[in-house]
Amino acid sequence: MSGQLRTVPVLLAATALLGAAVTAQVQRDRRFATDQPAEQVLYVQSPDVARRLALSYDVLAADVYWIRALQEFGKARKATPQDRNHALLYPLLDMATGLDPYYNIAYRFGAIFLSEAKPAGPGRPDLAEKLLLKGLAARPDKWEYMQDIGFVHFWAMQDTKGAAEWFERGSRVPGAAWFLKPLAATTLAQGGHRSASRTIFRALVESGENDWIRKDAARRLRQLDAMDAMDELRRIVETYRARGGATPVTWQGLVRARYLRNIPADPDGFVYELGPWSGDVSLGEGSTLAPLPKEPPPRVVLPAAGR
Amino acid sequence: MSAMVSVPTVARIAANVFKESVRDKVLYSIVLFAMLVIAASLLLSQLTAGQEVKIIKDLGLSAISLFGHFIAIFIGIGLVSKEVERRSIYALLAKPMSRTELLIGKFFGLLSTLTVNVTVMTVALVVVLAVYGALTPPDLAKAWEAPATDPRIVVAAFLILAELAVVTAIAIFFSTFTSPVLAAAFTFGLVIVGQFGADLKNFEQVVESAPVAWIARGLYYLLPNLAPFDVKSQFVHAQPIAPSYVALTVGYGALYVSALLSLAALLFSRRDFK
Amino acid sequence: MSAIETHALAKDYKVGFWRPRPYRALDGLTLSVEPGEVFGFLGPNGAGKTTTLKLLMQLVYPTSGTASILGRPLGDLEMKRRIGFLPENPYFYDYLTAEELLTYFAGLFGYKGEDRAKRVGRLLDEVGLGAERRLQLRKFSKGMIQRVGLAQTLINDPEVIFLDEPMSGLDPLGRRDVRALILRLRDEGRTVFFSSHILSDAESLCSRIAIVAKGRLMSTGTLSDLITAQLKGWEITLENMPQAPPESHAGVRGVTAIAAGRYAVDALPASDPLRLVRELTANGGRLVSIVQVHDTLEDLFVRQVDQASGTDRFAQVPPAAAAGGTR
Repeated sequence: MSGQLRTVPVLLAATALLGAAVTAQVQRDRRFATDQPAEQVLYVQSPDVARRLALSYDVLAADVYWIRALQEFGKARKATPQDRNHALLYPLLDMATGLDPYYNIAYRFGAIFLSEAKPAGPGRPDLAEKLLLKGLAARPDKWEYMQDIGFVHFWAMQDTKGAAEWFERGSRVPGAAWFLKPLAATTLAQGGHRSASRTIFRALVESGENDWIRKDAARRLRQLDAMDAMDELRRIVETYRARGGATPVTWQGLVRARYLRNIPADPDGFVYELGPWSGDVSLGEGSTLAPLPKEPPPRVVLPAAGR
Repeated sequence: MSAMVSVPTVARIAANVFKESVRDKVLYSIVLFAMLVIAASLLLSQLTAGQEVKIIKDLGLSAISLFGHFIAIFIGIGLVSKEVERRSIYALLAKPMSRTELLIGKFFGLLSTLTVNVTVMTVALVVVLAVYGALTPPDLAKAWEAPATDPRIVVAAFLILAELAVVTAIAIFFSTFTSPVLAAAFTFGLVIVGQFGADLKNFEQVVESAPVAWIARGLYYLLPNLAPFDVKSQFVHAQPIAPSYVALTVGYGALYVSALLSLAALLFSRRDFK
Repeated sequence: MSAIETHALAKDYKVGFWRPRPYRALDGLTLSVEPGEVFGFLGPNGAGKTTTLKLLMQLVYPTSGTASILGRPLGDLEMKRRIGFLPENPYFYDYLTAEELLTYFAGLFGYKGEDRAKRVGRLLDEVGLGAERRLQLRKFSKGMIQRVGLAQTLINDPEVIFLDEPMSGLDPLGRRDVRALILRLRDEGRTVFFSSHILSDAESLCSRIAIVAKGRLMSTGTLSDLITAQLKGWEITLENMPQAPPESHAGVRGVTAIAAGRYAVDALPASDPLRLVRELTANGGRLVSIVQVHDTLEDLFVRQVDQASGTDRFAQVPPAAAAGGTR
């Protein structure tokens, strides 16, 4: 019957037109950066105002901010160290948690990445703590946040006393994880730094909260393993040199001398570097475990006077 | 294939749509309200310290865009559905025209209406900006990123109009095969999704699985990407808006509209009017 | 070349949301209308009349079968220039005036300028719309809308005119005007195809008719072909009767009392009415009237509709290839 359009030609035409539209779009995207700058999202800087503007969609708006925060972090991760810019991370997380005070993942993820040391991260443990305290204000019984604050103090601020206090506080919340009390104790004990960290990270890996957190905690555990391995290697090198081993010292030399079985590599598979004259062991170049966290100097407990 | 589209017929149908809009009291109310908002921005800006000119421009263009969207969606859906519901289409289709011509005529009719409305509202905004600019002492005005009466407002308004053309086509498309309520819901949904195109594109930076990122990218290209039509930020901050950007974006809009209207014409031509 | 031709035209609608069943609105309609005829398309409500018109106007598409108007396929643009269509209970754009509506439609046919203005004015005069023509259609009464409808049907001097229930909602004056219009169109040599369920209109206007019921064509032909000229009986009205005429009297089929002393006697066709009157009034009474009773269109109509009453429109069989009586 005349009057009805024939399906196939019209569908072909529509597909061709859409293809042309896509081409125009690709051309435009190539020439002009059309990613919406996060500054636009921060047009409103105050969470209170944003909450009023978002009407009943504040939780949805919080999600938008959270997604933007993730993108910001992803972008920064991919950027070269010179171009890295984390300036927007805290404001975005602040907005997300301001719009939705119960936004768990924003607090915990935010804290981890805010406290990550430069150049990989922003190196702002103070902001991490500020964020987590905000979370505690909304949920005073969330022992996970107390644990996280303790962790920030411990790892990023090198404040073991403060860390132990927070772990202790967390352990007092009914239903808190079993390891918080021993963690508080271990933190204060001599040489407890690495094992305390191990406990925390193991707990994070097992807690199954979130892929991001788990992966990061697993990576920290590997870093700790690397540090232990490096200490062990240093001892071996010391022994070797003390016993008159050949200098410059190399891994092959140590293997030949039967001090080592194979060329040692870190848990991510990168061979350690051995200073040929200094005998110093460090992470191999390009290792994905770099940079290793700085450790506070070991506490020396002097025997009590008068004993 | 009766794809011969006669321009005079399309023009006559478009003229009728335009006439209907001129006599539509609701449309007047919307435009009037938009102009009130624009005028009110003058007052609102007094509440913020500095940044007044930016607020007036932002609020003004946002009002034009927002109200334009209302008109495009609600009248766009009614273009086809009202004719069918009230059965005026019976007498109309007996006249020497094809259903395709009817659909395209309706589209251009609403587009003309939108052009007039956007122009009127933009003129109102320019007037407000001119008044504001005239009232501000020159040494304060020097601190502005861009002059109050920046002629590039025409470009910003033109891109708003191009976006509204796409929204109209979406509304017409859905209204050819679903009820008015569903068509409104789908159109709204698609318009909102269209604002977040950049997020779809950036999925691969956030998500680990490659297939999901591929799907997101596919959706980014398939679904209407409306965010680039919004150049408020560049306009307000005196950042360049390249002519090639405008050309490519409007070109994208025109091609996307053509694709949508072809599909709409196909669906419309096969429909039984019960 | 026929003005209108259909071959086994059929339409199934899907009814129901979850498991749609096909509902046969029209089952294999085959008919033809010659140029210059006034063709009455009759049937009760729901018979498929409006469906047929919508199929012819390509507002809906047929499930099977074909049709043509003026020898051209349905939907053909050249053919649409030569026809006019008035839908049932029409609605036109209520924000336009009658004049504006006709001007718009005339424009769609390509009329322009002064020629168009003259044409519009003439048609509005013909349908009797005076100063009202400048009022917006939302202020029009139903009768006035119908007049506008007729005007827009004729705006292009069509050769074939389709009217769907043109008398619906009109008062007796309006109906008289429409009847006169149809006759005038016939005198001008145009073809008129109209659907109706009002039989008296068909009897006075149509050269040929078709009767549809339950989607099926029951019969088509001229009135004289379909309705026998045969006498069915006599109706004798008597008054001042001292008592009721006996039903057992020879030649009497039935007696009905109308009022005191007044009776209607139904007599067999073979009887001699004058002799019957003399016999029945032997003891008193007076003749009022003797009327010949023939088969009427209404009788035919009712018979055909009854015949169709067993039709199941949800039947799954494909539409009939050539259905309906052809007398």
